[in-house]
Amino acid sequence: MAKRKGLVINDRQLDRCDDLLAKLKEVSGSSFLALISTSGQPITTASDEYHPETLSLASLAASSFAATQQLAKILDENEFTLLFHEGKGLNLHVSQVTDQVLLIVTFGRQTQVGKVRLYTQRAIEVLRQIFEGPEDDDGPEMDSDFELDAGLAIDDLFKDL
Amino acid sequence: MPLINFAAREINYKIVYYGCGLCGKTTNIQYIHRTINPEARGKLVSIATEEERTLYFDFLPLTLGTVKGMQTRFHLYTVPGQSYYNASRKLVLQGVDGVIFVADSQITRLDENVESYLNLWDNLLAQGDDLTKLGFVIQMNKRDLTDVFSVEDLNELLNHTHSPVTESSAVTGEGVFDTLKIVCKQVIAKTG
Repeated sequence: MAKRKGLVINDRQLDRCDDLLAKLKEVSGSSFLALISTSGQPITTASDEYHPETLSLASLAASSFAATQQLAKILDENEFTLLFHEGKGLNLHVSQVTDQVLLIVTFGRQTQVGKVRLYTQRAIEVLRQIFEGPEDDDGPEMDSDFELDAGLAIDDLFKDL
Repeated sequence: MPLINFAAREINYKIVYYGCGLCGKTTNIQYIHRTINPEARGKLVSIATEEERTLYFDFLPLTLGTVKGMQTRFHLYTVPGQSYYNASRKLVLQGVDGVIFVADSQITRLDENVESYLNLWDNLLAQGDDLTKLGFVIQMNKRDLTDVFSVEDLNELLNHTHSPVTESSAVTGEGVFDTLKIVCKQVIAKTG
């Protein structure tokens, strides 16, 4: 069967992303950060005490961002590069890193929007280099028995249903 | 396309239920949510109208568990079936790994089924996808009703790719997991 390639994250990329998110969180005063794929799947997060339900958050944020891009097209705008929601206690900032990656930042009322935008924009420039850099030729590969074992796990998950 | 996070030892696949309005896409996903082991599923998110028609999508994450050291998940989505929501359907299809086309078996719904099936192909081709490289199953739903097409007739009308076909009644749950099982195995096989 034909094989398709998706977004693959290796150890080095994730370590660099985690370091960067931790720094961004500190300097921007944000409460929660997440890198997600544009198809709505979480890649990594940074937070202290605030832990939203990441799977749903990633799905909804990616969908909202995709809808925003379509709104831009309808309005003859080249692109809207960020999505911002202002709440009473919390703000949500979603911006595009690459064609396949988005950055979610949440922050409270005590943090200035301008500060978050400034540091986020700087972080995105570095994140782009991480994701768009040359691929490792000797990168990791899936275990050859993955398909077989996953098939058994699927049978087990759905048995008696 | 799956997200493979080797560093976090995670792999996520995206599966989309597609089909015309009221064919049973949301009913499938609601049955899965109700029935499957609660530890294997996340929160069911639905963006629907006041009349409980899907406005944007339903979303249900399923966790398969750890396979060869990789935490493996399937993210299930539905699309809004009504024809005028095509912009939303295109967005939900982004990054898809497998499609379950839910066909309404009722004779009166033939035109809607065909329109939705062609629309699926249009949208996948427009985003550069090729169904032969995706997981794909046709689920013939509402088999419990009278005045339905035979499986052979529906197969001839809708299955030009000769893909796997299942029969179901999503309301009672019959065939729901059989369909999901096939597409889950397909997406793993096709993405390697």
